[in-house]
Amino acid sequence: FVSYQVEILDWKTKEQLCFLDKVESNATIREIRLMFHKLYPRWYPARQSIKLDPKGKSLRDEEILQHLPVGTTATLYFKDLGPQIGWTTVFLIEYTGPLFIYFLFYFRMPFVYGLDERFTSSPHPVVNLACICHSFHYIKRLIETVFVHRFSHGTMPLRNIVKNCLYYWGFAAWLAYYINHPLYTPPSYGKKQINFAVIMFLLCEAGNFSIHVALSDLRRNGSKTRKIPYPTKNPFTWLFLFVSCPNYTYEVGTWISFTIMTQCVPVGLFTLLCFIQMTIWAKDKHCTYLREFKDYPSLRMPIIPFLL
Amino acid sequence: WLVIAVGLVRAYLAKGSYHSLYYSIEKPLKFFQTGALLEILHCAFGIVPSSVVLTAFQVMSRVFLTWAVTHSVKEVQNEDSVLLFVVAWTITEIIRYSFYTFSLLNHLPYLIKWARYTLFIVLYPMGVSGELLTIYAALPFVRQSGLYSISLPNKYNFSFDYYTFLILVMISYIPIFPQLYFHMLHQRRKVLSHTDEHKKSE
Repeated sequence: FVSYQVEILDWKTKEQLCFLDKVESNATIREIRLMFHKLYPRWYPARQSIKLDPKGKSLRDEEILQHLPVGTTATLYFKDLGPQIGWTTVFLIEYTGPLFIYFLFYFRMPFVYGLDERFTSSPHPVVNLACICHSFHYIKRLIETVFVHRFSHGTMPLRNIVKNCLYYWGFAAWLAYYINHPLYTPPSYGKKQINFAVIMFLLCEAGNFSIHVALSDLRRNGSKTRKIPYPTKNPFTWLFLFVSCPNYTYEVGTWISFTIMTQCVPVGLFTLLCFIQMTIWAKDKHCTYLREFKDYPSLRMPIIPFLL
Repeated sequence: WLVIAVGLVRAYLAKGSYHSLYYSIEKPLKFFQTGALLEILHCAFGIVPSSVVLTAFQVMSRVFLTWAVTHSVKEVQNEDSVLLFVVAWTITEIIRYSFYTFSLLNHLPYLIKWARYTLFIVLYPMGVSGELLTIYAALPFVRQSGLYSISLPNKYNFSFDYYTFLILVMISYIPIFPQLYFHMLHQRRKVLSHTDEHKKSE
């Protein structure tokens, strides 16, 4: 039974921040983070990036000291990740904003379209429908955040929330402005266009929800290891045969259907940006899967079957 | 860009005044400034190590001024502010491209390096002033003609006011210009002091 000594240096200045004596060989990085936090109360564990190499990747909480490529005196490097905020908290704030901001425009608050139009309502049924769909989408997201999603990382940097909220809230305001405007023009192909859009919307929302549940089930027992997702009995999950990230595929589908429903350019632009962002995320995820699993299904593309 | 410089000088000598010289170099200006879009692609494909975002910013702002302001709003083409930024751009680009050319030939005269990292101190504010004055001059004409603007109602449920957009562009110079300027000053200190050390050690 060997006892380790662990020294933690600042990644930039290489100054020794702490020296831990008599550390057990089967200690986890989580325990080391807790010990470091005791010495430096302002650097809570979520803020600590502990690495083997000053420029390397952060070590995961589950890593065990004796399994790391270190001698009995281990040298680790610390980097402050800055104030952190939990993913659940971020999502709740990000998604509640658009929900209520849309209502400001739907109910035509006086400061939005002027005093003459205050609290009036639109003669077009599609405007009511759009409000229901938009709200349904964000309520669904909030429910998923609380009950379905299992995040692999606990936190993200605090400054992300400002950036993310500006984006989600800003766009929600911009598209809500046009949809609920007194001069709004309903879709050119009328009821046919709207009905088609509603059906597509419902299918994509159901699909997206099914995928989230399926992904959540992969981590049912609280494990943080990655597993390859496979199609289940739910037909919506059969998209896994062709795509690594069908949740993103369905999400883009939802926004395309919303664009068709409202026939509104700002919605279309938002859809385009969502598509670009989600394609980047999907490609990243796809590459991670390919790297980690040698037997990853070769038919699968990141986000669009056979194409992208 | 030398073509543009020579064109400006010739036109000045021919006309006897420095007003309305834009027309004499309009075509080469459009051609070469638009060509600079390639520089963004070079960064995107990794051929050039510069940041895509920074390069895109600089080139797009120039292209915006060339096409979306000066070309589109004919009434400002006579303005002296146009000459101001054209001269600033011309001198800057001649020096910058000479810098690259000589660097590739591994024979960079110190004068060119010095010029590139020093003259910007005057040329940058000069160019920015010309650009802002030109946009400002274009405003009333944009308002009058409703250029590039679309209003409600329309079947795409979209509206865009080019006049407001131009004002926002002008305001954006306030945070962006100092950052770029100080970045260049910082580069200057780094590059020119590096050369001094080199010389001292020789």
